[in-house]
Amino acid sequence: MRECRVSEFFGASTDGPRQVIVLEDMWASLDGHTVLEGITFSLDEGTFLGVIGPNGAGKTTLIKVILGLVKPDRGAVRVMGMSPGELKHELHHIGYMPQQVLFDPLFPVSVYDVVMMGRTCCIGTLRFPRRNDREAVMQSMAAVGLDGLEKRPIGELSGGQQKRAFLARALCLETRILLLDEPTSGLDYEAQEKFMDLLARLKLEQGLSVIFVSHDVNVLARIADEIVCINRTMHLHGKPMEVLGSERLKEAYRCEFDFLAGVGSHESTEV
Amino acid sequence: MLAYGFAQRALIGGVIVALACSLISFFVVVRRLAFVGMGISHAAFGGVAIGLVAGIDPVLSAGGFCAAVALGIGWFSRKGRIHEDTVIGILFATAMALGVLLVRLAGAYNLDLMSYLFGSILALSWTDVVIIAVLSVLAAAFIVLFFKELLFISFDEETATASGLPVRFAYYGLLVTMALTIVVSIKLVGIILVSALLVIPGAAGAQISRNYRGVLVAAVVIGVTSVVLGLYLSFWYDVASGATIVLVLFTLFMLSMAVSSRRGYMRKLRQREG
Repeated sequence: MRECRVSEFFGASTDGPRQVIVLEDMWASLDGHTVLEGITFSLDEGTFLGVIGPNGAGKTTLIKVILGLVKPDRGAVRVMGMSPGELKHELHHIGYMPQQVLFDPLFPVSVYDVVMMGRTCCIGTLRFPRRNDREAVMQSMAAVGLDGLEKRPIGELSGGQQKRAFLARALCLETRILLLDEPTSGLDYEAQEKFMDLLARLKLEQGLSVIFVSHDVNVLARIADEIVCINRTMHLHGKPMEVLGSERLKEAYRCEFDFLAGVGSHESTEV
Repeated sequence: MLAYGFAQRALIGGVIVALACSLISFFVVVRRLAFVGMGISHAAFGGVAIGLVAGIDPVLSAGGFCAAVALGIGWFSRKGRIHEDTVIGILFATAMALGVLLVRLAGAYNLDLMSYLFGSILALSWTDVVIIAVLSVLAAAFIVLFFKELLFISFDEETATASGLPVRFAYYGLLVTMALTIVVSIKLVGIILVSALLVIPGAAGAQISRNYRGVLVAAVVIGVTSVVLGLYLSFWYDVASGATIVLVLFTLFMLSMAVSSRRGYMRKLRQREG
């Protein structure tokens, strides 16, 4: 049986901010092809880190390495002070939202049922949801503004509402770290903005540490505390304006950005 | 009808099988495993033939053989980078070919074999009923005990994996459970017709309710009703029981389409009235 207890990592008192995720010279491959080389960065508690890079840059693999779904070839990965393989009993601190949930729109589950799925590892095998599980689900539905829609079939929701339901699912554990893989893909501009505002608010309210992966620089510029730009290797790491103003960003994407016009050309932290 | 021992055994065995099939048919429908079910059930022909040739209970030999084929389908499609339906197409034809060859070699083309192809529920012995009950309870227990994990994995496998759920165990477990359910259903409706029991209760349930709780209840009611009604009709009109059960299932499916809130006549009627 697994219980969602607060891990020792978050229980212990510290002087400064904790480093919830640390990657040092991490290399990873998929099907024998190296997709990430020498990735080094750390995520402080309560920080919103945007990971940008073009399609095929290895962003999703990076998330999967942190989740322990892809084993790195070399280098060190520490999540909450542990290697991802040791995280099995601490996964309730990690909320994950995949790039696209390819579900059948006729799948017979309500929004409430979908959010409850997020609590599966807290409920434990061979057990049924208890009152605290039901309360956690209702709380996280309210936090993303889906209260009142509990009984609606998930397939009947709009794209933006579905994304919020999946965010609620990622938040209904004892979530401290949010890993979001292109969560706004497929949303129109307005829905995207709403989703980002919601995320910024939740991050502040709940003190979340967030890694948000996107190929779209514009999405992240406004709310990220730091931005890492990867395209197989790490190209840049710094504050959003530093990264977005850098010449090396074009190098990473191998194209020009319209967005970059008008953004100050500060020196970035080259890595 | 219940004065006869064979009818009692048929009814008890039939209801147990219907319960197990209805539960698993929910996952057959939501995970789109209908063709997997077809594949495993046809492969059962090879398993039955092994039993007939080796002189062991064909239900047991088919059980082992089908479980192996089910695991094979899972393993090849996960590891071999081949689509599930391709693997099924390969394995079920091969297993049936093996069955044909074994039966020919053993000279066992007889009535017994026909009863496995089209069902022979009226010929159940009490031993058969016990075997059916044990295998059905095992299958139903797996579905009930791991329901929330199976539901999560069926809805969104990627996030379920990231949450640390035993995705591989659940997938292979579901396939083996399907194999066991298919094998016990063979006595009831036969290899050829078994997919009806695996698909129709869940499909009809999904027409009636948009939530899995309602789908499950409707599937069980429809599955059990079809078996009881089918047996009753086949008894009184002296027609093949397996085929009658399948035709009753189909009739109930059509009815469920008619009352479905998704597209049915009832909705149009309501709209017209409104």
